[in-house]
Amino acid sequence: MVIALTGLGLVVFVVFHMLGNLQLFEGPLALNRYAAVLRDMPILLWAVRIGLLSMAVFHIGLALQLSMQNRRARPLEYTIHRYRKASIASRTMAISGMALLLFVAFHLLHLTAGVIDPGFADRRDPEGNRDVYTKVVHAFQNPFVVILYLVGQLGLGLHLRHAIASSVQTMGFEHAGLNRLLKALGPVIGLIVVLGNVAIILAVFLGIVH
Amino acid sequence: MTFTLKIWRQNGPHERGRFVTYEAYDVSPGMSFLEMLDGINQRLIGTGEEPVAFEQDCREGICGSCSLVINGIPHGPDQGITTCQLYMRRFSDGASITIEPWRANAFPILKDLVVDRSALDRIMQAGGYISVNTGGAVDGNVLLIGKDQAETAMDAASCIGCGACVAACKNASAMLFVAAKVSHLATLPQGRPERARRVSAMLKAMDQEGFGSCGNQYECEAVCPKGISARFIANLNREYLRAGIVESGCPSEPESPHAESA
Repeated sequence: MVIALTGLGLVVFVVFHMLGNLQLFEGPLALNRYAAVLRDMPILLWAVRIGLLSMAVFHIGLALQLSMQNRRARPLEYTIHRYRKASIASRTMAISGMALLLFVAFHLLHLTAGVIDPGFADRRDPEGNRDVYTKVVHAFQNPFVVILYLVGQLGLGLHLRHAIASSVQTMGFEHAGLNRLLKALGPVIGLIVVLGNVAIILAVFLGIVH
Repeated sequence: MTFTLKIWRQNGPHERGRFVTYEAYDVSPGMSFLEMLDGINQRLIGTGEEPVAFEQDCREGICGSCSLVINGIPHGPDQGITTCQLYMRRFSDGASITIEPWRANAFPILKDLVVDRSALDRIMQAGGYISVNTGGAVDGNVLLIGKDQAETAMDAASCIGCGACVAACKNASAMLFVAAKVSHLATLPQGRPERARRVSAMLKAMDQEGFGSCGNQYECEAVCPKGISARFIANLNREYLRAGIVESGCPSEPESPHAESA
């Protein structure tokens, strides 16, 4: 239950994160202004950051605890085990989750903290705002960074595909007339978020945005 | 038809098990899977060997006793049936078939393919009942129940407690079983008075028995011989949330329904 709730909280974040980042397509000033607006509200910004961090800690901690319990529930595995219904996404939640964790850590060090690529951390644009735009464009011109981010997005998409509909079920939302809609939530929201993010990465890499 | 069978043999709960290979000859395509095993056992008894222990009772798909994992799928490759209703014509001649018991911490192996499923009984004892006074049967149609409610309750009540859901679940979770029992009683007026206490008690018992948790993969639904829908698991989650809210309103534990009769 807590895993579902915290997971859904994180889903809300990735949706808004993707939407905010799409302002890249409106040009450097728009994106830098957006970044400045976020930084102008330090209390809100840090409240959200701490909220996200604690949600992630609960989500991962409880997931680890549960999966250890689940392992104990079947000490001796079947010699042959055939899945009949379980989707690939649902069977790889642990792997996609761990890939996501590594990716998020890299992403924060890379674009938020600027540890990995410090060259652009303090650049300003003509309006005096931090030049996030140039930093992003510079980052995604590097093919290694692009591959890493695309793999991260693959992990995110795979995780969300099972996660959202699964959380909805765990919270007890279910209705004969709405079930198809609820089941589609995961793949659809996951696809929208991934497509939005991949659009940014590829637009820069292919030179459409520069 | 002839088959090569790899069967799990284990002398007792604490012994080490292993696979033993047996050949099945002269199997008629119309034989059920259990009849084919009967043939093997007859031969083993004839040669003075220990027959393969497996559980069975009604052999018409309603008792929930038979419990074999056949080639990695509880109750075998066909959907909506128990092992006893699986016929040998479903397999190709000369096929190799692996037979394992239900594997779960909560279902210790007693011998060969027989597991102890009394953990499910203890979950039922924790809350899978309604408390009524004994006496004459209630007149018909005193309690009117809507058609849709009756249908939903019957869908849930068709669970025969075989444990295939536990066997199929990668976490060996009994959620579908508990969901069916809780939903059955919570849908009917007779089960309403105790519904909050019931769901909490049954889920607590499930955890205590060492079953895992639900990952919403719905493997349980796919192997259930009675086609119980995983929708009932959502309903169980809803009941549990509701119980949390109701019970937080009245912190004192309601008196045990058996207190009167004691």
